[in-house]
Amino acid sequence: MFQLKHTPFHERTAKLSLPQNWRRWAGHVVVGSYDLHVEREYWAIRDAVALIDVSPLMKYMLEGPDAARLLDKLTPRDIGKMAVGQVGYTGWCDDEGKLLDDGTISRLGEQTFRLTSAEPSLRWLSMNAVGMDVTITEVTEKMGALSLQGPKARTVLNLVCKKSLDKLKYFRVMENTLAGRKVTISRTGYTGDLGYEIWMESADALHVWDALMEAGHDYGIVPCGILAMDMARVEAGLFMIDVDYTAANHAWIEGQKSSPLEMGLDWAVHLDKPGYFVGRRALEREQRAGCAWKLMGFEVDWEGMEPLFAQVGLPPQIPAMAVRGSLPVMHDGKQVGYASTSTWSPVLKKYIALVHLQRPHYEPGTRLTIEITVEHKRLHAPGKVVKLPFYEPEWKKK
Amino acid sequence: MSANKRWDTIIVGAGHNGLVAANYLAKAGRKVLVLEARDRAGGQLELHAGGQLRPDIVRELDLTRHGLVAGTPAPYISLLPDGRRLVLSAADAAATRGSIEQFSAKDAQRWPEFVAFMDRTAAFLDAAYRTPMPRLPHVSLAEGLPLAKLAWTLRRLGGKDMFRVIRAMSMSTIEFTEEWFESEELKAAIAAVGIHGFTLGSMSAGTGYTLMHNWLNRGGLGHRTGGTAQIGDALVAALKANGGELRTSSGVQQILLHRSRATGVRLNSGEEIPASTVFSAADPRRTLLGLVGAPDLPTEFVWHVQSIKMRGSVAKVLLRTDGAHGLPAGTLVVAPTLKYLERAFDAAKYGEIAQHPYLEVTTAGDVVSIHMQSAPYKLRGADWVDARADVERIAIETLAEHLPVLKASIRDVRTITPRDLERDYALTEGDLNHGQLILDQMFFMRPLPGWSNHATPVDGLYLCGNGMHGGAGISGGPGRNAAQALLKV
Amino acid sequence: MTSSNQYDAIVIGAGHNGLIAAAYLARAGKKVAVLERRDVVGGAAVTAEPFPGYRFSQFSYVVSLLRPEIIRDLELPRHGLKILPLPSTVTPMDNGDYLAAWDDHDLTRQELYRHSPRDAEASDEYGRVMARAAKAIKPILGLVPPDPSSLSLRDMMRMLKVGQYAKSLSEKELYQIAKLLTMSAADLLNDWFEFDPLKGTKSASGIIGTFLGPSSPGTAYVLLHHYMGEIDGAFRAWGFCKNGNGGVSAAIASSAHALGVEIRTNAPVQQVIVKGGRAAGVALANGDELQAKVVISAADPKRSFLQFVEEKHLPGEFVQQIRNFRVRGSSGKVNIALSELPDFSCLPGEGPLHRGAISISPSMEYIERAYDEAKYGQFAKNPYIDMIIPSMIDRDMAPPGHHVMSCFVQYAPYDIEGGWDDAKREAFGETVISTIERYAPNIRRAIVGKQVITPKDIEAIAGITGGNIFHGELLLHQLFFLRPAPQWADFRTPLPGYYFGASGAHPGGGVMGAAGKLAAMEVLKDWK
Repeated sequence: MFQLKHTPFHERTAKLSLPQNWRRWAGHVVVGSYDLHVEREYWAIRDAVALIDVSPLMKYMLEGPDAARLLDKLTPRDIGKMAVGQVGYTGWCDDEGKLLDDGTISRLGEQTFRLTSAEPSLRWLSMNAVGMDVTITEVTEKMGALSLQGPKARTVLNLVCKKSLDKLKYFRVMENTLAGRKVTISRTGYTGDLGYEIWMESADALHVWDALMEAGHDYGIVPCGILAMDMARVEAGLFMIDVDYTAANHAWIEGQKSSPLEMGLDWAVHLDKPGYFVGRRALEREQRAGCAWKLMGFEVDWEGMEPLFAQVGLPPQIPAMAVRGSLPVMHDGKQVGYASTSTWSPVLKKYIALVHLQRPHYEPGTRLTIEITVEHKRLHAPGKVVKLPFYEPEWKKK
Repeated sequence: MSANKRWDTIIVGAGHNGLVAANYLAKAGRKVLVLEARDRAGGQLELHAGGQLRPDIVRELDLTRHGLVAGTPAPYISLLPDGRRLVLSAADAAATRGSIEQFSAKDAQRWPEFVAFMDRTAAFLDAAYRTPMPRLPHVSLAEGLPLAKLAWTLRRLGGKDMFRVIRAMSMSTIEFTEEWFESEELKAAIAAVGIHGFTLGSMSAGTGYTLMHNWLNRGGLGHRTGGTAQIGDALVAALKANGGELRTSSGVQQILLHRSRATGVRLNSGEEIPASTVFSAADPRRTLLGLVGAPDLPTEFVWHVQSIKMRGSVAKVLLRTDGAHGLPAGTLVVAPTLKYLERAFDAAKYGEIAQHPYLEVTTAGDVVSIHMQSAPYKLRGADWVDARADVERIAIETLAEHLPVLKASIRDVRTITPRDLERDYALTEGDLNHGQLILDQMFFMRPLPGWSNHATPVDGLYLCGNGMHGGAGISGGPGRNAAQALLKV
Repeated sequence: MTSSNQYDAIVIGAGHNGLIAAAYLARAGKKVAVLERRDVVGGAAVTAEPFPGYRFSQFSYVVSLLRPEIIRDLELPRHGLKILPLPSTVTPMDNGDYLAAWDDHDLTRQELYRHSPRDAEASDEYGRVMARAAKAIKPILGLVPPDPSSLSLRDMMRMLKVGQYAKSLSEKELYQIAKLLTMSAADLLNDWFEFDPLKGTKSASGIIGTFLGPSSPGTAYVLLHHYMGEIDGAFRAWGFCKNGNGGVSAAIASSAHALGVEIRTNAPVQQVIVKGGRAAGVALANGDELQAKVVISAADPKRSFLQFVEEKHLPGEFVQQIRNFRVRGSSGKVNIALSELPDFSCLPGEGPLHRGAISISPSMEYIERAYDEAKYGQFAKNPYIDMIIPSMIDRDMAPPGHHVMSCFVQYAPYDIEGGWDDAKREAFGETVISTIERYAPNIRRAIVGKQVITPKDIEAIAGITGGNIFHGELLLHQLFFLRPAPQWADFRTPLPGYYFGASGAHPGGGVMGAAGKLAAMEVLKDWK
């Protein structure tokens, strides 16, 4: 009688996953990886084209005269500046300026927006909509969502879509017809590569999947699970809720909360926009005082790390997948931060991590050490603070 | 005309609190404009059978010079079945004793001790209402001292009384009166004052507190008679003398903001009037969600404001008679037993009008004013257009049971339902208290936790009405506290 | 085994608090005797076998609030304590549907979502807010309440502790707690939710053991009180003790015994012996006298102060306060031996719902009306019922294939109009059966035996005055420094050498053990 939810693609993905390593995502089960090892899927993202089921994303349609006003109150972004056909990535905060969630806003019309989020947000949206003329509809289960990522993504899409994708700019959305089915396509993704997200009615899901797999066959298309996507997103410098930051309403103590400024979303915080938005006062204060913490990138110095393993006669042992465990980051023997996700980057051939660092250690170039375990001993490998993203191919935004 | 004058403070609402706040500010030299939607000042004053402004306010605003007449104490009479009466008169101890002795000699003996205890308790509550409630827990030294003083006042009641007061706050009137008395008639008569004006029953926790509150406001069980409308007149006269201005028939539609700071108001007529600060004497929900608007307020704050419990359940039935109504002078109640009061309240819980309601009745010349409870604003399966007649009928029938000559003397009836209270007196959900005086909506939590110091998330916008600490009744405490809060800054 | 009749400490009452107090004193090297009126230990945490082969937790029937430090200190797992999970609550609805709360977040969310998408989200948020509030208020459970009227150093230190605790709370936490202490459960739940069965079920834990309805101010506190349960660190989890709640008492008794405590059953205490203005021992009903330096009562406040001690030894004010202490019982229990599982129409057949609690609480109004009836001296014709089937969790509770069902019922007022008698008890039991029958039509034919317990029976059997399961209503003015009486909330009494440590003391009722432990600690602090 009990069953976790299946995405609209489950019939395909279940058969294709060899290890059957299901993961939970927003009450659904999704494939961890299709192959027994993640490399092939990962390289499809970086060198060919990968097809990822991202349906569990929460999706909401906001329609009506005050749709823009609602989003303008909800988020620090200036929604007034968003054109129809534009997509904006943003976080949103509680009244104290701490992040609750993050997602994308697609402006599909003057009064029509689609919002995605990681956590269920119907309640928070409704609370913010008091006194406004807007209709909020959850469409999470009604829509399937696929992410097509990799250098060949546009080529493959152009084969199956009625309208060409050539003119679709980065972070723009369009309506299209894919293999005869109505879809919206946004040039967005969670991998930092050239990529598109395709949104369709659940009933059309399998048809669209099949069309893409067929069209992509000669270009090396591969279904890709979330484990490989996790590695790519770290390379892209993209954080994940409840892994790299704790949603303010999930936090037990103040110290677990993060502000959008800390998380590097200052470019999406428009403090000069008119009108009230949730968390404005707190963010204004924080901007004046400067951030106590910042999310940055960290590159481990291989030359500095190798000897630590060599001492016990081992070659360096780095996990083959992204690791979501917390690792202390030190300066002169004192902890000044921690890594929230770390991974080996196959494309960069580096061991990288998303790190949270206390002021003043978050300046790029700062040399710090990160904890590694060598034969049950906690040791520290040297590295340096870098700006995010780690990896951004030139074709991503072209 | 005030067309081009730059106002320091605009006060929305010329009810008693608005006028009190305006007077204090004007006296301190501020340029004050009071805007009233109705064609006359006074707000809910005319709806109260009795009551008075707090003595320190009367004194500080010199209101007797402006025509304010103090009320005179009158007996408190419980109309019991079979024509019996329980008469409690502060002015006549012997008669009171005799009246109680009808039901219990032991109770008659304890009565003076009870009155003395209640007076001491009222004095403490009075001190509490004069103590500004800061925003916990970040209490500055300046804010903490009055609180410490209040704690010391409590302590000085002595161990026995101190605990009695603390315990009484959360007790129900049934528990509270049971610890003092044995006769049902006396206990119910007291409990009636505990529930008067509130949507609570004799068995509701917290009616011990509301009993103390009403006792403080009345100076005992019975109202001081003397008309409350004149309080409004005196306040208006004083305001003018202090240099403040009042405009009636000037309803405010919107409080104007810029970047979360109040900049003035817009009237229903469209006229915009700028000011440095705005005080609102309207209830918190109307002020914040109606005049400011949810979109400009923090999200959780909006939710909490929506959650303020108002749920008025009072109706008034005014009878114009030929004078031969048969009612003695004083404060009369129909509250024969504790269970009677509780049953009446039960009806309100389910959105029904009590068939056997608690009534409080006062007379002024030919006019008989019936205050009836358990006429809940949110009716289930009915609306107030139709239910008005039911209230009228029930109120008159219930009272007529005790006064056979009443019905014949009636010439005209006017009924004010909770819906009328909302529409005509701007009382959300018909609640004269601007928020029920329940345990989670008092002191530091009135109107909301963290917002007990009259401020709001909008800079320069202050709340000064009954919905604040000290409110419920017509003492004027909130108005004074709000003015002081601004003047101290 | 009695040596002399001389002890360091005597504990009156072998309920869980009495046993725990004794164990802690023995742990500190004291010679302790516990005197129990009945022939079994456990008080209201007992397992009975009214029908051979069918065992019931006769009164209290679930575990959650038992203090983890007590479990550790007394090594209760070593003495047989096993707490088995009670993973779900199902609320049958009048339209044949049901609402379920399972022990997995995603499954519960799905379940709630199909009834109300808003409530599904609100429930997550509500759970977090309540968990944080419970975490914030928990330390209070282990604090000795100060006497705010006292200027003694000891009380100043206690006030300081309370102050430090309050200061450690964030602004938001402080407000949450202040609100939760004073609101009604109905107002709280109406703020968050819209779906009636959800609100009804949640509101029930706000009125358990009280003489209040969901719309009564103060019931949000009781809700929070029940939220403070935890098992193995998992907040808000409830469990079933192997062998029933008697298993809890048995483990504690075993631990106490191992620590050297002497437990005497069939030893009702008549009076506390007072010599030179001090408690000096007890006299049993059979005339035996036992001496001790210290006597601790683990009975209810009325028994402890109005029965065991002659009035002349206590200040009049205190006696009056104890007389005023409200102990109205409002709950009953119906324990049923069954030949088959009750088949619930909303989820037919044997299923996961049988392994958890089944709650008859279709709305808050349903429970409020049940309360209204009790106010006027009647038992509820449509009662709130919390059912569990222990035999589905612990197969040793009933013969194979047969079952026992434990039904906690409200409201059944102690002072029912005309008083409780056999006819009324029977009628009450019948009301419960016919209520269950509406949702599980096979119940009647499945009944092998039925034991109906009214508040009067609770009083008579478990020895709790007024039949109130918490030894005293959880009303704001009967909590913390006011429990059981102002100035006497620190487990001491006006009679030197006489202490008090059971549910009628802070932190109140439930199978917690906190009062017993705190009392023992205070005894040791005073020890000369």
